[in-house]
Amino acid sequence: MRTDITVKIGGEAGQGIQTIGTLLAEVCHSAGLFTFSIDDFESRIRGGHSFNLLRISSEPVAAPGHIPHILVAIDQRTMTLNKATLPSESLVILNAESEDNISKNSDNNSNIDDSDDNTCSEEDIEGCTSSNILKVALNRLAKEAGGLITANTVAAGAIFAVLGTPFEMLEELLIRKFKAKGEKIINLNITAAKKGYEAAGNVRYHKQFNWKPSKTDRIVISGAKAAGLGALASDCRFFPFYPMSPATGVIASVVPYSGKLPIVVEQAEDEIAAVNMAIGASFAGVRSMTSTSGGGFCLMTEGLGIAAMTETPLVIVDSQRPGPATGLPTRTAQPDLLFVINASQDDFPRFVLAPGTPAETFESVKKAFYLSEKYQVPAIVMLDQFLATSQVTQQNFFKVDKDVERFIFNEDNLKESESNLSNDNIKSSDKTSAYEHYKRYVITEDGISPRALPCMGEIMVRATGNEHNEKGQISEDAANKVNMTNKRNSKLAAMKQEMALPETLYFKGSEREYSIISSDKQSSTDNQFFLTGWGSSKGPIVEACEILQEKGINIGCIIFKDIWPMNSDAVKSVLENKKFIMVEQNSNCQMGRLIAQETGINYHASILKIDGRPFYPQYIVEKALEIIG
Amino acid sequence: MVEPKDYDSDFENKWCPGCGNFLIQKAMKQAFAELDIPPKNILFVSGIGQAGKTPHFMQGNMFHCLHGRALPVATGAKIANHDLNIVVNSGDGDCYGEGGNHFLAAIRRNIDITLLVHNNQVYGLTKGQASPTSALGMVTKIQNHGVTSSPFNPLATALGSGAGFVARGFSGDPEQLIKLIKAAMNYRGFAMVDILQPCVSFNKINTNQWYKDRVYDIQSTGHDSSDLAKAIVLSLEWGDKIPTGLFYQKESIPFHKRIGVLQASTLISYPFDGEKTAACF
Repeated sequence: MRTDITVKIGGEAGQGIQTIGTLLAEVCHSAGLFTFSIDDFESRIRGGHSFNLLRISSEPVAAPGHIPHILVAIDQRTMTLNKATLPSESLVILNAESEDNISKNSDNNSNIDDSDDNTCSEEDIEGCTSSNILKVALNRLAKEAGGLITANTVAAGAIFAVLGTPFEMLEELLIRKFKAKGEKIINLNITAAKKGYEAAGNVRYHKQFNWKPSKTDRIVISGAKAAGLGALASDCRFFPFYPMSPATGVIASVVPYSGKLPIVVEQAEDEIAAVNMAIGASFAGVRSMTSTSGGGFCLMTEGLGIAAMTETPLVIVDSQRPGPATGLPTRTAQPDLLFVINASQDDFPRFVLAPGTPAETFESVKKAFYLSEKYQVPAIVMLDQFLATSQVTQQNFFKVDKDVERFIFNEDNLKESESNLSNDNIKSSDKTSAYEHYKRYVITEDGISPRALPCMGEIMVRATGNEHNEKGQISEDAANKVNMTNKRNSKLAAMKQEMALPETLYFKGSEREYSIISSDKQSSTDNQFFLTGWGSSKGPIVEACEILQEKGINIGCIIFKDIWPMNSDAVKSVLENKKFIMVEQNSNCQMGRLIAQETGINYHASILKIDGRPFYPQYIVEKALEIIG
Repeated sequence: MVEPKDYDSDFENKWCPGCGNFLIQKAMKQAFAELDIPPKNILFVSGIGQAGKTPHFMQGNMFHCLHGRALPVATGAKIANHDLNIVVNSGDGDCYGEGGNHFLAAIRRNIDITLLVHNNQVYGLTKGQASPTSALGMVTKIQNHGVTSSPFNPLATALGSGAGFVARGFSGDPEQLIKLIKAAMNYRGFAMVDILQPCVSFNKINTNQWYKDRVYDIQSTGHDSSDLAKAIVLSLEWGDKIPTGLFYQKESIPFHKRIGVLQASTLISYPFDGEKTAACF
């Protein structure tokens, strides 16, 4: 039997909401439980309203929980915002003074600490749809423990108590977590946690997990960190960037490795510099990656063009947020798909990958580096605030290859190719032959020309953003322009073959079956409708399908991860004869339009969410039911 | 021994006859030859403008990039492999206009490259509009009532921003220019040489003769290039007399010496070890 509890911790920015969430997730992880944690916050450092939504489950989870089973109100506002919609069986932990801990009707609360204006009063409780209210005087207990700063540890103690977690498990984590800060800080936090734990008395949430320390091969990780580690696993050594939410986390995640691995992280003067520095380093032979959000990507579009024109490998992470312009800096959306596919003037091949989970992010970033160097084209990995910042339990996925394939041409290759040239009678020792015979942009059947590095021998490498001839010299020749454009575009045929087909999930009764190709006609008729999405909405879509199946609705789902260049014929064969409902976080159904453009197949309907908040499975279920009827 | 002609290219030159760029390019070749750097060991990075085309007309490795972006590309390449000899050819519009922010950042990073700014006080490639260094009031086809912004002072800006090597050359004084380019190449850190040059097609005011009548060599008048205050005063002198030469040079720590991982080796030369990487995670 699955136990699935969502804890919502709300308060002001600066009150340590995220810290409590992280602590909770770590203890759950040490008990072998699965968590999915999202942080909802405003673009401010102090004040306002923010919350952490932590879903804890005995089974794997791929989507956030929506309805809080346990609400932790650190301030009044959290109570005001949530009290009218709480399920009746939910439990509220309230930052309030009380003699009688459990009932909201019983006491007159004469002991409220009026020096603290976050503390809730009876007025705040009025109208609450849950009758299980546990009052914990966080600030008073924190002061008693030794410092107001430990109020969030007090809260964590209370939460663990109602979850039924043995105190030793929390204690163990606190010791590990504060080890570096010394005995005093450890003891302070343990005392604070104990105060919170004891304040809960015998109050327990009615559903309980099996709390036992458990070693697993699982990790709790965000998409941003997975992207950073994916880059390190790809031998990326240079990370020029300009700070921008929600993309900075990708770069921040590699910073701790800078003493251990040969990497340089450089904060550029702007995104234009960031992308051009990445291109310069890549040209010189070092794998480089920059990370930005839509607004920064706007500035990088000219860089995308010169990477394409000079056929210099380049990997960019676009961690999307709602726009246009500044939009909602700390919120989530999928509004950049058509933009990144079409960004920069004129047309050139590029890869666009959109992973759905942290594990997939790690693999997509590795794939982006591989493909970008193999085809000498830019590769863009699309995340969004939801995927980049959600902390999710994942099976450990850190597969690092022993070596990485670099596709770099050197003088030995040149000698080989010279000996293959039947009409040339040049000795390989002839120094002048190297430059004479090396053509950076030689026209080949597959469009890929030998990429050598500058100043590595006799070969001289010449690149330019102007249209150029095979040697990289400016050329305004009409026939050359046609030939060079065709050369670059001729990579597309092989590039399309590199793209994994969308993942299709069929549901047969209670069983679910993953497939990457829909040749199975039987299956495709089993499910009449398919929820179809891309990137980070994968988890919520799959769970929505499961909920709909339980309701007896015949539905499957199709998830795109490798998006561009689209292998149109193959995608067409997947989508043919299916009623697919697009599920996207943008206002103009961008993936649906792209599919229609590339395959001629139109989507049946769409579920679009544009409020800057993530998809919850329940939301998709409600909208799907409206469509299916 | 490397000779200037080793840098000769048979690629058709596209500058106007009489352009100051020819003399600058000639001085570059002479300087590199005297430094014994063969073309295969040099990387030219250039932006957009007539100056940006310079590497096309000579031998060497080249990345001819976008308008204003030569410095970030050069910065990335130098971080990747600080053994590279990187020379940036830029212009007054490219470096001080479109790439102004990168110019400031390159000074602050003290990235170990040589920046040659071909400064003709006008936009040549786009046919004669005002540049950031055009004189206030200069009439062009676009600024037909005269330029309304004051000219940018690249030397004063560089000196004020902490640059460690600041020089001004003139295309009409090749002997001095060769010396300055060589000194810039030998300098460990960000070295800028602003090079005054005439634009025979579009700048009818700041002609070769105009410069010749005004320039004087500050080394011959005894300027001490370790004196920052005097260098700043000189950088503000512009009118009947225009100082040229090495304004300022100080010892400095180049960017790659400020980064731990680059002190041991170039970034590119570290081997990749998948097992070691995995063990870090």
